[in-house]
Amino acid sequence: MNILIVEDESRIAKRIERMTRSIFGNTLQSLTHISTLHRALQFIENNTLDLVLLDLNLNGHNGFDLLTTAVSGSFHTIIISAYKDQAITAFEYGVLDFVPKPFNRERLEQALNKAITKEKIETNEVKFLAVKKRHRIQLIPIEDLLYVKGAGPYTELFLTEEKKELHDKSLEKLEQLLSYSFERIHKSYLVKMSEIKEIIVESGSKYIAELKNGERIPIGRTKYKDIKAKWL
Amino acid sequence: MNLKSLPNFLLICLVLLVTSCSQPPVFIEHQTLSRIGDRPEWAAKDWNDEDWDERKAVLESGEVYWTRTPIDILKVSKPLHPYAIRPYIYGEYEVFWDGVMIGKNGNPGQEEALGPEGEMLTTFIIPSHLTEVGKHMLAIRSSIYYFPDHVGMSVDIANYDDLLTERLIETSYMHIFAGAFLIASIYFLFLFLSNKKEYPMLIFSISCFLFFVLNLAEFITTYVPIHYAYHHIRLETKAALMFGISFLIPLYFSMQFPYPKRKFSLLVYAGVLFFIFFIKHNFLDFTTRNMAISMWVFSFGIVVYAVYKRKKGASLVVMSLLLSLLINFVTSFNIGLFVGFSLILLGMFYLLSHRIKEQRLAYETSLVQSTRLRLELLKKNIQPHFLMNTLTSLIDWIEEAPKKGVLFIEALAKEFDLFNQIENQTLIPIVQEIELCRTHLEIMKYRKEINYSWEEEGIDIAQKIPPGILHTLLENGITHSLPLDDNSIKFKLVFESNNDYICYTFLTFAANENEKQEINNRKEGTGLKYIKARLTESYQEQWGLTSVPTNHGWKNTIKIYS
Repeated sequence: MNILIVEDESRIAKRIERMTRSIFGNTLQSLTHISTLHRALQFIENNTLDLVLLDLNLNGHNGFDLLTTAVSGSFHTIIISAYKDQAITAFEYGVLDFVPKPFNRERLEQALNKAITKEKIETNEVKFLAVKKRHRIQLIPIEDLLYVKGAGPYTELFLTEEKKELHDKSLEKLEQLLSYSFERIHKSYLVKMSEIKEIIVESGSKYIAELKNGERIPIGRTKYKDIKAKWL
Repeated sequence: MNLKSLPNFLLICLVLLVTSCSQPPVFIEHQTLSRIGDRPEWAAKDWNDEDWDERKAVLESGEVYWTRTPIDILKVSKPLHPYAIRPYIYGEYEVFWDGVMIGKNGNPGQEEALGPEGEMLTTFIIPSHLTEVGKHMLAIRSSIYYFPDHVGMSVDIANYDDLLTERLIETSYMHIFAGAFLIASIYFLFLFLSNKKEYPMLIFSISCFLFFVLNLAEFITTYVPIHYAYHHIRLETKAALMFGISFLIPLYFSMQFPYPKRKFSLLVYAGVLFFIFFIKHNFLDFTTRNMAISMWVFSFGIVVYAVYKRKKGASLVVMSLLLSLLINFVTSFNIGLFVGFSLILLGMFYLLSHRIKEQRLAYETSLVQSTRLRLELLKKNIQPHFLMNTLTSLIDWIEEAPKKGVLFIEALAKEFDLFNQIENQTLIPIVQEIELCRTHLEIMKYRKEINYSWEEEGIDIAQKIPPGILHTLLENGITHSLPLDDNSIKFKLVFESNNDYICYTFLTFAANENEKQEINNRKEGTGLKYIKARLTESYQEQWGLTSVPTNHGWKNTIKIYS
């Protein structure tokens, strides 16, 4: 695990650092603490990370610029903030968890566990996916997203009106965030269940999901039983 | 009924009043002939006066002269309701109707010997048997010892009761006006006395009072007998009152609707009024009329300019001025003058009430603002950023180093205590504010683990300052600064004073983030808004605030002018 802590309160940063080290133990590869927005953005750009623990209010800045940048990255983001009223927005942007201050070890561990165990978020709070564009970040509403296709470390987002976007997060991470309405029907596909029109069984036990727009997506042989049990 | 419809209402009342009074005359007055001299036969109806003079008699002193005026009666009087005659003449006189003496006012020809007797306005009954329809002769024997150059006459003939009551009715209406303005005058005088800065109120009060006296002076002849020798006193009084009113009303408008070169134009205007006052001073009605016209023109100019400048309330005042002009066209000069003035005063009244409302709103806003500032000060300690970060650090200190944690709690308790002491004040001793800053630094040391230090220079402990403003600058300094290489940030407060102002300079010695956006954020932040609002609350406009980055960090200056 490569973890970045962005926090301008020295004492709190040390507390997070101490607890994180103890929770992750040997699985921790690197742990960095940065206290300014500017340097945090630089660091995120130049390093490969698995998890960012982020305070939204750094040196009097509104942290949402940093938040949109963070959630568009390949890593998961956990917010640690004094402003509980920001939690809803943070979840809409697709953070893994929101830890309100003051926090204890148990609460932090609970949040970090989501990253460790790849636990799925069972709420539909995610409203947007942030996608990196040249010089800016675009927020894509979840309503526009039909399905996601894994492409190595990245994913391809297939949207309505035949649009397509690339996302930095892996299919596993998106599955974690989107599991409320999306289902992993295949090793490489995450599909919005409400978009499936019918499931077609072809010869040779091939299962195909046909979407409302006519696209056909294969269903993994092992996944079919689960899907049938859960959705049919 | 709202204020806007009031002038219209008054106009309608007035029109009704005027129309109810006017009845067709019952007589025709022909050319008056006059002759100096004194013969009893001249009273006779059929005396041959062909050689008499059509021009007014030119008198030397108190000599007796006669006038003969043929009069046609057009309509016979009702039974038991005789006609009466009211001469409008300067002097003491005897009145003969068709050769019969029907009245006497003073002692013509003997004024010097017997002294002033009689009054300005007298009304004499004409015997019924002498008022049949047709030609009649009015002969008047008179002398004007006190004002020999004021020869001239006209008469009014009507039903005796009507002649007496008509003027009384008019007077009573006018006195209702007068009473209203007396009350207004007293009321606004008291308002002024309770707030001596409100000169428009004083001017309005004086205008109302002058108007009240003018009204009395105009209609006093109805019920107080005045000898013609003293009549000029009344006229002089009227002219002087007019002078005052004519100056005060434009002055009032110029205060309510300021315009460039105000003082100069008012001086010129005063000059014009003086000129009008002294030129042809013997013709006081002429003077009065001209002053009223000047007043109207000058006021109208000011108010039209105000309308052009879109000043509040100006258009209504223009309406009232135009209405007063209109009324002067449709009624007699006296009535027009008084009703016109009343309308203008109502316009002024409207402006005042408007201003009073504005002041009340401003006061209420300031109350709300004070409460808001107080809440903002209180909120400093419970807003999540401060409170939750402090508590998180505190938990950590207690878990990791309980003894230091206790010191942290003590520092926190002290800051809360200080806030409790100052939260409901608008000015606190500077030492208390400094104490607050030092305590805050103590807390932040535990949170940020930076070596904060505090210095002060030249502090005058007698000075007071709005609560929380240095504290806010300190918070800004802590939030927006990065520590120097030795992990320290220093704050320094410098006090300077001279005859013109006192100045606090608040310096931060730290590393800036040096981003343009950062600097802008800091200049427009909510913290500075709080400081500005607090300074305005205590010093109105008499302060200045600068906030700029420097080589060593940041520099804020607060100047408070004396």
